[in-house]
Amino acid sequence: ELFRCLAICHTVLPEGDESPEKIVYQAASPDEAALVTAAKNFGFFFYSCMLSCFSVTESTGKVTSLVRKGAKKITLSIGDGANDVSMIQAAHVGIGISGMEGMQAVMASDFAIAQFRFLTDLLLVHGRWSYLRICKVVMYFFYKNLTFTLTQFWFTFRTGFSGQRFYDDWFQSLYNVFFTALPVIVLGLFEKDVSASLSKRYPELYREGIRNSFFKWRVVAVWATSAVYQSLVCYLFVTTSSFGAINSSGKIFGLWDVSTLVFTCLVIAVNVRILLMSNSITRWHYITVGGSILAWLVFAFVYCGITTSRDRNENVYFVIYVLMSTFYFYFTLLLVPAVSLLGDFIYQGVERWFFPYDYQIVQEIHRHESDATKADHLEIENELTPQEARSYAISQLPRELSKHTGFAFDSPGYESFFASQLGVYAPQKAWDVARRASMRSRPKVPKK
Amino acid sequence: MSSNTASSSGGSGDSSAARKNSKRPKYSKFTQQELPACKPILTPGWVISTFLIVSVIFIPLGVISLFASQDVVEIVDRYDNDCIPAPARTNKVAFIQGDAPKACNRTLTVTKRMKQPIYVYYQLDNFYQNHRRYVKSRSDSQLRSPKFENQISACKPEDDAGGQPIVPCGLIAWSLFNDTYTLSRNNTPLAVNKKDIAWKSDKEHKFGNKVFPKNFQKGNLTGGATLNPDIPLSEQEDLIVWMRTAALPTFRKLYGKIETDLDNGDTIQVTLQNNYNTYSFSGKKKLVLSTTSWLGGKNDFLGIAYLTVGGICFFLALAFTIMYLVKPRRLGDPSYLSWNRNPGGGR
Repeated sequence: ELFRCLAICHTVLPEGDESPEKIVYQAASPDEAALVTAAKNFGFFFYSCMLSCFSVTESTGKVTSLVRKGAKKITLSIGDGANDVSMIQAAHVGIGISGMEGMQAVMASDFAIAQFRFLTDLLLVHGRWSYLRICKVVMYFFYKNLTFTLTQFWFTFRTGFSGQRFYDDWFQSLYNVFFTALPVIVLGLFEKDVSASLSKRYPELYREGIRNSFFKWRVVAVWATSAVYQSLVCYLFVTTSSFGAINSSGKIFGLWDVSTLVFTCLVIAVNVRILLMSNSITRWHYITVGGSILAWLVFAFVYCGITTSRDRNENVYFVIYVLMSTFYFYFTLLLVPAVSLLGDFIYQGVERWFFPYDYQIVQEIHRHESDATKADHLEIENELTPQEARSYAISQLPRELSKHTGFAFDSPGYESFFASQLGVYAPQKAWDVARRASMRSRPKVPKK
Repeated sequence: MSSNTASSSGGSGDSSAARKNSKRPKYSKFTQQELPACKPILTPGWVISTFLIVSVIFIPLGVISLFASQDVVEIVDRYDNDCIPAPARTNKVAFIQGDAPKACNRTLTVTKRMKQPIYVYYQLDNFYQNHRRYVKSRSDSQLRSPKFENQISACKPEDDAGGQPIVPCGLIAWSLFNDTYTLSRNNTPLAVNKKDIAWKSDKEHKFGNKVFPKNFQKGNLTGGATLNPDIPLSEQEDLIVWMRTAALPTFRKLYGKIETDLDNGDTIQVTLQNNYNTYSFSGKKKLVLSTTSWLGGKNDFLGIAYLTVGGICFFLALAFTIMYLVKPRRLGDPSYLSWNRNPGGGR
């Protein structure tokens, strides 16, 4: 609704000074003056996102650059024609609408959409999700590598600082490639804090992106602390408890046994962490998390089961089988990942209760609603409102051929509604009258 | 005519179904990100019940582990200082490197009945078997097969003696522990079985049964024990145990096992040869007699860890219950939304 009110395009000629706060807009009619006033009001609401005005001249490009540099806000501009290209390119985010006026705007833009009203989805749904996903993926990458590396770091204290590796070379190399790679990809693809329809119903959720709530230094510090804690747990618990005999025949573990056990606990903890940090867990999450852990075990079975004449000297032949032949292994495997994740679990429980994010409240408000995905989908599929459907049906009549007005935003009647909201008298344009007439319940012959 | 071309982006740009020549992409739940998903919300109920479940599982496991560990009887005796005769204690290194007789008698008292098999270990402290140069100083291919006798490049400086390759080469083998222990109880000798002290995978695969020691400890510096050149490596179990390098600088290695029970009050006489030089680096040597349980030796850590974590979870469940009662927040209370709490500002 908010964006619908802004979906108006008319000629507005800006006259920009060098100081962007003092841009004076010369409106062609009181109608547009109302528009511009309201746009400025909305600009305050989205205080770091401002819509540029549309113009037939290139000066919109200059306006955008002025706003971008001077006011230091993130600018988004949207347009559909060749005249909008400069503006699209000048803004941080340029959106082109593919339509009547050709593809020049689309080719110059960062995003291309088909209709102006898709802007709500682009911004409030996909833009927001994208921000959330990127934050989570980046944080997770740092976290998992930090945890992994820190276990090795703690080990160096006990090797006389000689630089002995804790893990086998191949385990180390494939950690990021096979054993922890897929779950985070799935997280980045499917993570949603609230559904699409709720995102549009609560556009204020967009503020979390504006305020950079998910990627502040505080968030980074929390993840880093969690990584340090988990690495300490994985390392210390295993090395302390593996001293002495570890099975009933009194045998002792060597370096590679201990390190493989730590690695196994680490892979499990780091992968299950994905499930803790996901707001929406699809079956692909389960498949990739379980699959990664399984991939690690299968790899260990194969790698530890074969010896060749070209093996390096510090090989881990048979280590995983030796490990799995002890009860100690299974006890440790249950304890260490659970303790590692306990810290994060407590933190999330406390944070959600006492310092909830907005999206968490929204999740709770709508927790009992079933997954309205079908409804979301229908909303987009059936994008013609009854008036528009009628309008379209009428437009199929032969006489509607020249409905083209040269403007991309075919939203008849809105500017008058808009102006009337502000109490400004807006004289009606001929083409608007025609269009509005065609949208009334009884089809009327449009005047042209 | 309204536009009848459409481009789609990010899943949101579907063209109208009512228009002709629709370029709408094929719908699938995967591409439209509408997969059925579980959307867990960490409500107080979930938090408290998770803590309770964890404590319910962990506390019994901790009890089991602790009982297993408590059942183990362990006798530890540090002998490296006491086994140097008093006059030589000012220069222990010189003593250990000299030719003086190194026999030493120790007495151990059994305080609790120990059921066989009782495992005899030697424990070394401050011995960095995990040092990088040490760990890489071996040749696994040489150990496996006599064909690769000459693959000694990683074994420097203990790679060859007078041009001939040393088998087994490397610092790890060279520094083989060489204290020996002879145990007796009430003047009857206790047999220490030195078979089956190494992992089977090591004996069968890592150390070949056609490889015999050659040129071993023939250099100027003797690092440890000598090996009988007539016994193949796969049966040299002391070597095999020693070459499974330990993870930490304080470690135990299996020496042998006693296959008779020891009763409460028994005194064990140990005649040991204090050969191994740990005095150059202030290391410690200890003799350990220990039974085992199904979980291994005497290590309370697992049991205590499980109990502690289970206890903490239980305590947290209580704490969270109290917290939620004292400071309740209705689930989904819109007054917590930042724009309702703080219009114009927020989180």
